[in-house]
Amino acid sequence: MSKAIIAPLPGVFYRRPSPDQPEYVREGDQVNPGDIVGLIEIMKTFYELKAEESGVVAGFLVNNEDIVDAGQEIALLK
Amino acid sequence: MIKVLKPGLQTTVQDQGRLGLYEIGMPPSGAMDQFALRVGNMIVGNHPNAAVLEITYIGPELIFEKDTQISLTGGLIPPKINGVPVPMWETLAVKAGDVLSFDFVKSGARIYLAVEGGIDVPLVMNSRSTYTLIGIGGFEGRALAEGDVLATGDLHERKVAAGTRIEESLIPTFGRSHEIRVIVGLCSYRLTEESKRIFLETEWTVTPEANRIGYRHKGQRLQFVEREQPFGAGSNPSNVTDLGYPIGSIQVPDGVEPIVLLHDAVTGGGYATVATVISTDLNRMGQIKTNEKVKFVSVGLEEALQIRKENQLVLNKIAENIASR
Amino acid sequence: MSKLHTRYEYGGDEFVFVQLSEAMSLEANFKGIAITRKLKERNLEGIIDICPANASYMVRVDPDVLHPDRLINELREIEDSIKDLDIEISSRVVDVPVLFEDPWTHEAVMMFRDRHQDPNSTDLEYSARINGYNSKEEFIGAIDAAPFLVSMIGFVPGLPWCFQIVRQEKQIEVPKYVRPRTYTPERTFGFGGAFAVIYPVQGAGGYQMYGIAPAPIYQKEQTLPDFQESIVFPQQGDIFRYRSITRDEYDAVRAEVEAGTFTYRKKEITFTPQEVLENPERFSEMVLRRLYHD
Repeated sequence: MSKAIIAPLPGVFYRRPSPDQPEYVREGDQVNPGDIVGLIEIMKTFYELKAEESGVVAGFLVNNEDIVDAGQEIALLK
Repeated sequence: MIKVLKPGLQTTVQDQGRLGLYEIGMPPSGAMDQFALRVGNMIVGNHPNAAVLEITYIGPELIFEKDTQISLTGGLIPPKINGVPVPMWETLAVKAGDVLSFDFVKSGARIYLAVEGGIDVPLVMNSRSTYTLIGIGGFEGRALAEGDVLATGDLHERKVAAGTRIEESLIPTFGRSHEIRVIVGLCSYRLTEESKRIFLETEWTVTPEANRIGYRHKGQRLQFVEREQPFGAGSNPSNVTDLGYPIGSIQVPDGVEPIVLLHDAVTGGGYATVATVISTDLNRMGQIKTNEKVKFVSVGLEEALQIRKENQLVLNKIAENIASR
Repeated sequence: MSKLHTRYEYGGDEFVFVQLSEAMSLEANFKGIAITRKLKERNLEGIIDICPANASYMVRVDPDVLHPDRLINELREIEDSIKDLDIEISSRVVDVPVLFEDPWTHEAVMMFRDRHQDPNSTDLEYSARINGYNSKEEFIGAIDAAPFLVSMIGFVPGLPWCFQIVRQEKQIEVPKYVRPRTYTPERTFGFGGAFAVIYPVQGAGGYQMYGIAPAPIYQKEQTLPDFQESIVFPQQGDIFRYRSITRDEYDAVRAEVEAGTFTYRKKEITFTPQEVLENPERFSEMVLRRLYHD
């Protein structure tokens, strides 16, 4: 059974804290509640998108720097 | 007293705005959705210009330190008290120790929290509105931060019974596609006839650059009429001799992305403005999110004034609704 | 005598925008000053804002009280009544010291060379060249030589657009940066299009940067004597003389500002647009004499 991590707000999605740093998490990584999986930039603010449950990252449904909607599924956990 | 446990994404104190100061370069600021501000204050029996909290996208977590009444109006960012969902557009009684929090945004972009008496911050040039660019008004000239403590004021005019709710049919709803009515004008003579048509026919997408200063839209490229550059206007075809920008005016720097200037915008500059959002639809503009669709619909002045009257009638009806309870 | 063509436009249901001319000129600006000052005197109910600009102006109304078409009728009437610009303007002439080629704006100039028309020159060198001056010193001399009319306030609180009181053929004109900067020091003296400005606060910007003013033009704390009435010092219609100063004078003025004692050297002045338009050089000389010697 897979669980989705949802964007709570619209903006530009980033998988890395900054362009020269590694991605927060990758496919196959274990995440726990509170772990950051990406950033959403809106109104010059970076919102930390966090996992709310534990699981293994099955995959991302959006690309780095895509514009995402509020309520859009960003990643799946299994 | 209200204590900020978590500030939310961008929560600011706003009222009807700092009016009459374009002359010194001061934009009006104030609530982006003035309809929600007005109704929110009515529901708690406040003066129309009492200050409220404007909450954008992600709600704060607030603890009330005394018993009071509140209202929540505007976009749907579902509110909860002590973790239990509570209705919007209704007079809510809260007790000392109650915690207000919010779910993720469902529709619209901004929700307004009005509190009996209004949020009490110092008046700066006759307004309590926050203008963050130069750090004046509101709570210390900035968005709320964790640990801030807000006082409430004395702009309470009449007691409204808890549970007072306005008629469903009078409550605005917000989808994901928006028709925003504009009056074409200002420097629209700079656009080619074809680009004027494209401007009105295009379904524009709101970019991530959408905030209290303005909303930038992606869609089509617009073209300007060829000309010999007037002295002082600047070399780009979208340039004009620097002029004033009305709130709601739309400019298209280099013809690339139309920007609707909003409450905290710059008050003037050198880009041709081509249309202005009518005053009633500025409220709806403030409820639009990044990535949603906007179509600009041209109306004439008389139609705009008629729409303004109808909006006033809705407000009057709401006031009667509340008074009859 | 006028070649101006007025355009009346609605800005939504609350604004009337009036463009007096597409091109900037002293005449267009004086006309705007004249009309907006007359409008103010009429004290019409329902007016929220009267905002004069460079070659245009806008008025915000409560349309429930004052119908925009009624306002336009009033404005046409006023425009007809001042056809010959037969008015007196009362304002101030102010000495505004500027340190050209200062270390702070120079640092910013060097930071953004990749956004400039000519990455191999400084903003001053480039501007001097395209305006036909032999050196940047000569160019600074031209700015220093004649005062500027504060033709508009706006963009952000207090920013004065200033248009030099010289004949059209002697007007300096420079482009804005190719791409705007993300940083401009507070109190930068800049130039864009036909306008000199001082940036009230640090921020983004696109004007050429030549120097820095030691004294503020905007002070939200309102501790300096010139800011008791308003957080903004410049007023449209003021005449500013941008005087080139030395580093020593810059430091001395800064010290006064920090001690809270600084006041601008200024004089009240009344003039007619005609005397300026007929002979800008003579008017400029008269103004400077009044400022420094009377």
